[in-house]
Amino acid sequence: MVLLDDVLARLATAETCGYHQGSQMATEPAALTALALLAHRRETAALPLLHWLAGLQTAEGNVGISAAQSTPGWPTGWAMMAWQAAQRSPIADPKFALAIERAVQWALQTQGETMEAVNPQGHDTSIPGWPWVEGTHAWLEPTAMNSLALEHTGHGNHPRARQALELLQDRQLATGGCNYGNTIVFGQKLLPHLEPTGLCLLALAGVFDATGRTGRSAEYLLRELSARTATISLSYGLLGLAAQNRLPEGADDWLAAAAARTLARDASSYKLSLLALASLGTSCPLIPPRAEGTAK
Amino acid sequence: MTNPIPPQPTSDTNPIDRRTWLIGAGATMAGLLTLPLIRRAMQMTAPVFVARNQRYDGPLEQTIRDGLIATGLDPAGLRGKRVLLKPNLVEPSRRSPQMTTNPAVIIAAAEVFRKWGAHVTVGEGPGHVRDTEMALDESGVQEALDASQLTFDDLNYSELGWLKNAGRKSKLKGLFFPQQVIEADLIVSMPKMKTHHWVGYTGALKNLYGVIPGVKYGWPKNVLHYAGIPQTIYDINASLPKAIAIVDGILAMEGDGPILGSAKPMGLLVIGTNSTAVDATLGRIMGFDPARIGYLQLAGNRLGPVDDRCIEQRGERWQSVASPFTVIDFPHLQELRATDVLVT
Repeated sequence: MVLLDDVLARLATAETCGYHQGSQMATEPAALTALALLAHRRETAALPLLHWLAGLQTAEGNVGISAAQSTPGWPTGWAMMAWQAAQRSPIADPKFALAIERAVQWALQTQGETMEAVNPQGHDTSIPGWPWVEGTHAWLEPTAMNSLALEHTGHGNHPRARQALELLQDRQLATGGCNYGNTIVFGQKLLPHLEPTGLCLLALAGVFDATGRTGRSAEYLLRELSARTATISLSYGLLGLAAQNRLPEGADDWLAAAAARTLARDASSYKLSLLALASLGTSCPLIPPRAEGTAK
Repeated sequence: MTNPIPPQPTSDTNPIDRRTWLIGAGATMAGLLTLPLIRRAMQMTAPVFVARNQRYDGPLEQTIRDGLIATGLDPAGLRGKRVLLKPNLVEPSRRSPQMTTNPAVIIAAAEVFRKWGAHVTVGEGPGHVRDTEMALDESGVQEALDASQLTFDDLNYSELGWLKNAGRKSKLKGLFFPQQVIEADLIVSMPKMKTHHWVGYTGALKNLYGVIPGVKYGWPKNVLHYAGIPQTIYDINASLPKAIAIVDGILAMEGDGPILGSAKPMGLLVIGTNSTAVDATLGRIMGFDPARIGYLQLAGNRLGPVDDRCIEQRGERWQSVASPFTVIDFPHLQELRATDVLVT
């Protein structure tokens, strides 16, 4: 990707990792930045972020949304993946191994509230998955994050990880694509969105899909993504397509266009890290290491 | 500095004056509180301005200025104040302009407050999408903000503060808000006039769900749903008394709102310094009975008036612009309709 060096230089020297340029340090951007720097062999720059994340971990094992907010713990999956990536690098540290172990325990004990179906034609409300906030229903994105984290930390065969894949398949619209995790309400099919669809397909890499929904979701992304797509949606969309081996020819140019816009406007670590990860295409280490069709 | 908004009642600060209290207390003791005259004396009043024949390429700035002054806003009190405009950008799509607040209305409101000497920002925390850049692009708001050199606050990811729940209708002891919301001198709720398949319709009060940060409450903001939608709508508004309303009812939405409904051209702007009164008027225009809407049942006479006799009509009378909105055919929605309205 053109401008990749600029993107990585910004990430390596950023004073804070926030959702927007100049905003306060937050867990999700910090973990994604660490993942991007590790994936591009900038281990030294990633190290302070990994320690910062470890410092936020609570006694229960979760990592809150920022230093000031120890709950909710939904970004814990990203921290798990960052520490796990470090363990495969020259900066491996027993401290990170311990943090992963505690985070896995928290993740396995956390689940969304199940309920009776409000809309009979809608999604399966009995699959636990993961919520954004404990005590509420499971939604698509936190479930995808935890699914990825369990897969990358060697717990892909755990029943909770299997349930997560089931939820991600169920929450896709029958015609392809997904949103925050609702499919049909009062008989009407809801609208799909790029970012959650990309994240969902990333988590479903290599998962056999008898329904055909995953393929239709990839088709939706291929129809909608372009050089004009907003940075976060574009990055997740392309990560999802890479995970499904469906990357379009123009992907690299689209990322370069998004990088130019982002560097000129809101060069936040959140957006730059996603661009850096998406630029790796099918080599992105976020893609779960499953063989094609092994998970059913 | 003077307060630019007329006194905003809350459940803790009932606006009834001492004389009325004495009347009320005496009436209670005498067992006379059920008399209509006494009941009305205990109720609060507020003005609402309705403008018809409005267009996105028309003189919106003038209409908004007139409406705010007509409903009691004091421009002199806004000099140097921080004004946060809060449009509805729930799930924007270029294919559904009836879903979100039109950029022209946002910019016109911003110009009004700027010319009164206020520091204006626009902020929103979309409830269904995490990619706010996408929401701004799809809604056309980013382009408009750039052209007007206005800044945007992503309320989903802002630094957080905590306020005690001043409403206490839900179990939540307090609410996390973005610091920009807490520090604003005035919040302008700028909803779209549209139906809502869970609560009937959505207006200025429900629109403030969008100041609740997704990073803390999720996408959707499911914590609020579990605590009760009407209850948390009330609690949020009771905790943020410095809010007024400018409703984009020019291209409205009927049917399966708030996302999938159809466009309904209405040509209206509805403006007021009391959001409860604005929402009650909005409901009447749309063919609902506001007294049957859960969050207005809670807000009525606590946050503002719902009774039509207590809402002073400025500009057009709501009866002259009323046009019943269709809703999806489910009993929980059909029963919210005004009894003298028949729409299928």
